[in-house]
Amino acid sequence: MTATKLYRRDGADAVTACALDDIVLLYHPRSGQTHMVISPVPEILDQLADFTPASVAQIHDRLARSFDLGPADDAMREIAAHLDALVALGLVRPA
Amino acid sequence: MRHQLTLRIGPATFRIGSAWPAPVSQLASLYAAYPQPADAIADFTVRLQPTSLARRFIRPSIFITGDHGLADAAPMSLAHGLLAAEMGMNLQMALGWRRHLLLHASSVEKDGRVLVMTGESGSGKSTLAALLGERGWRFMGDEFALLDLDSGAILPFPRLVSLKNRAIEVVAGEVGAGRMGPLLAATAKGDIRHMLPRNDAVARMGQGAMPALLLFPRFGHAADMRAVGQAEIFMRLTQASTNYVALGEPAFTALTRFVRDVPARAIDFPTGEEAIAMVERLWEDMA
Repeated sequence: MTATKLYRRDGADAVTACALDDIVLLYHPRSGQTHMVISPVPEILDQLADFTPASVAQIHDRLARSFDLGPADDAMREIAAHLDALVALGLVRPA
Repeated sequence: MRHQLTLRIGPATFRIGSAWPAPVSQLASLYAAYPQPADAIADFTVRLQPTSLARRFIRPSIFITGDHGLADAAPMSLAHGLLAAEMGMNLQMALGWRRHLLLHASSVEKDGRVLVMTGESGSGKSTLAALLGERGWRFMGDEFALLDLDSGAILPFPRLVSLKNRAIEVVAGEVGAGRMGPLLAATAKGDIRHMLPRNDAVARMGQGAMPALLLFPRFGHAADMRAVGQAEIFMRLTQASTNYVALGEPAFTALTRFVRDVPARAIDFPTGEEAIAMVERLWEDMA
């Protein structure tokens, strides 16, 4: 049930970001790891910047206010995949 | 250990101990112009010891170790003792230095600004730094460039220049035999001969300067020059650093600033002379 799964960022997982060309570097002090990400990962992370839990649908709706995401089903599938990858990296937590 | 030498190179002080006299006496003579403060507190200890008691006398084999060691380091012949000492010092720096971000790069300075050159073994970065050091630039180092985490300056680490194979003849022809160490034939990396930096490079080894140009040299290809994207530069520099991960966020901040502020190019060249001409042109245009 991806639609009801919630994700959140934790203050302890705050990253320092630096954009170089079209790549964004994220330094994660808690793990000491530097991640290199490209759009839409930084944008997805931005939607969770207030540390409150959000569902894939909520994140999709927030992004859709600023970006043309195309068909909602495809976009939500992609957002969910990115969120799960971010959970695996320790940058986002399941809420 | 029976034979010892304390040696300062740039900001680092090494105590080198050896079971045999030859590597220490060779080092003491080649590093004669460097501070050798016998009573100083050393940052690192390098030990050249026999692989076993018998190996001290019979076909002597050196095991390189010290404060930081690699368990699987291959033993070396005593004939290559000087190289073992140099590798020992490099190993301590690579594994233990924390005061600066260490970049596996050569560097030279002109008019108070630094040219940094990074690349793998065989890229020509050592040879280029050695040659530029004879032609109006100040040689700062051929192996490690030390990036200051606060100021962003590059600090020198001007140890002996380790020249391999074809580069030996090119550089020896330029500097003369008086500044060349003994030929170490048929080491694991081929023939190696060390070159002494000029005295002014040693005298000024405490003076850093801001970086103004980064090059990725590549020897043995037709002359070419390419821009390199910032993200690629960042990735290559983290790969070229032995302590980026250990230093944490200050290293991230210092390295991203370096990548953003310092213009960079990749250059291919077939000969040292062509490389020098390319570097001088680029320096005029970009730095």
